[in-house]
Amino acid sequence: MPFLKIVNVSKVFTVGKGAAVNALHRINLDVREGEFVTLVGRSGCGKSTLLRIVAGLVSASAGHVEIGGSTVDRPRRDVGLMLQKPALLPWRTTLENVMLPLEIMGKKGRKYRDRAHELLETAGLSGFEGSYPRELSGGMQQRVSLCRSLIHDPAVLLMDEPFAALDALTREDLSNELQRISARHNKTVIFVTHSIEEAVLLADRVVVMSPRPGEVKRIIPIGVPRPRTLRKSEQTEALAQASSELRDLLFERADVAEAAA
Amino acid sequence: MNGVVNGRRPEAKSQDSSASGNAGLQDELRSAEGNTRLETAVPGEPPTQQPLGPDPAIAIGRIPLFERRLVVASLPLIATALFVLLWWVVKQAYGWNDVILPSPGRVLGSLAKNSQLLTKHGLVTLQETVLGYGLAILIAVPLGVIIGYSWVVDKALSPILMGLNAVPKVAVAPLLIIWMGFGLEPKIAMVVLLSFFPIILGAASGIKATPDDLAEMMRSLDPSAAQMFLKLRLRAALPQIFVGLQVAIALAVIGAVIGEFAGATKGLGYLITVSGGTADTALAFAALVILSVISIALYYIILGVERLLVPWADHRP
Repeated sequence: MPFLKIVNVSKVFTVGKGAAVNALHRINLDVREGEFVTLVGRSGCGKSTLLRIVAGLVSASAGHVEIGGSTVDRPRRDVGLMLQKPALLPWRTTLENVMLPLEIMGKKGRKYRDRAHELLETAGLSGFEGSYPRELSGGMQQRVSLCRSLIHDPAVLLMDEPFAALDALTREDLSNELQRISARHNKTVIFVTHSIEEAVLLADRVVVMSPRPGEVKRIIPIGVPRPRTLRKSEQTEALAQASSELRDLLFERADVAEAAA
Repeated sequence: MNGVVNGRRPEAKSQDSSASGNAGLQDELRSAEGNTRLETAVPGEPPTQQPLGPDPAIAIGRIPLFERRLVVASLPLIATALFVLLWWVVKQAYGWNDVILPSPGRVLGSLAKNSQLLTKHGLVTLQETVLGYGLAILIAVPLGVIIGYSWVVDKALSPILMGLNAVPKVAVAPLLIIWMGFGLEPKIAMVVLLSFFPIILGAASGIKATPDDLAEMMRSLDPSAAQMFLKLRLRAALPQIFVGLQVAIALAVIGAVIGEFAGATKGLGYLITVSGGTADTALAFAALVILSVISIALYYIILGVERLLVPWADHRP
């Protein structure tokens, strides 16, 4: 029994004077509880749109999404969202930013504050609770954003290229961090990315999407136990193989087009 | 990873302690340093390049930055001195007499001699300005917020507001006197008329300009409409609201004087009219100086309130 079900989801955008764009076409995906799924694809394949439909921010033109047996029709409180930009409120300190979801859900009290402090400590942000976003580096801001998406202990974590704007070193740091957290708290994660290596490193299954219309092209299971790192050579080989398979898939169409020309 | 972040922490703290150590200099430098942070804290910066530590580049930059702030502070004084000099030179060169153009010295003399008179009338104008400006804020901020929120209201009201704003306010002054008499009311009304438009514009554009990423993040938390407004949109609009308030405060003083020109028995506008009639040009200039001082003082008060309420915005030195 899958925990998160995407059933026949299609999305049609109307652009300009009635021109319709098929952003997503009949997407079906079942995600187990605690599973880590990455969505990979070229720009315009609708992966971000799909994530927003799962988040309840965008409505599907057809089909539906179920989480824990109930249909998603609006943003839910058992879901945490993390975007490419940290999206921190500039007038709030680190701690206040992390507490925002709880505040909106009307949850107050000491135990929540303690939880926030604990999360910030795990993310290596102790000592920065009172700092404002402008005083933090990009990587630290994104860590705060990660803490915020976890503070209300959501069962599902939706991430839209959360590390795309970060440098390679910070990105590796945060990938490790995310793997630890998702494994420890048994989060179900859907993670959108452009990066093949990132997709392979993080995922139980990589969902490859193709554009126009946005469709699921292939689902590749990654058989290496998580958490993973690029430091273990026996993992590195298996991951490299998966990466290369994925690369072939993603560049297939371009190669065919080139060959035809 | 923790190692990297922890490695930075003591440095960040040591900077805090130095801040309490020499608070004066630190205050001078704070905004300048804030700018440096803004530049360096872009996404994509590795944590090893954080701006939090006592970075040698910043330490070397301190003295020039401090000097730059001194220059910034003295620029208006230098410009004023040059202006007064030019005034004096022109008067001497053309041989104009004191009725046409009083010398800077005479204006200073008049300021000293008529200090009581100027204070009395200055307070009247100040009162009209502050009351009218306050009323304009009470009307224009909520109206601007509603316009920013609802395109229906925006489309419906914008033509009326544009039309109102296009009316030359001087032409309305006699009407206000007919409707409201010679008391404070028509002057306050004139202040409102002049200052409310930029405040509406600031509030409306501020509310419309909620950053998309923040709005999306907020929506994903399923907030109530009130939470969305109070926790995000109003706060995010504050910098633009203050831009409107800053433009409006200078207009508010002008409004009070226009109101007094149209018919008054007190106020600096009245004093200027009267001194014109008695050919006491030095007194008229003295009144103008007081008007400028009021205008500048109110402007800086608004600026101070902004820094208090919007400390996160980028304040230039």
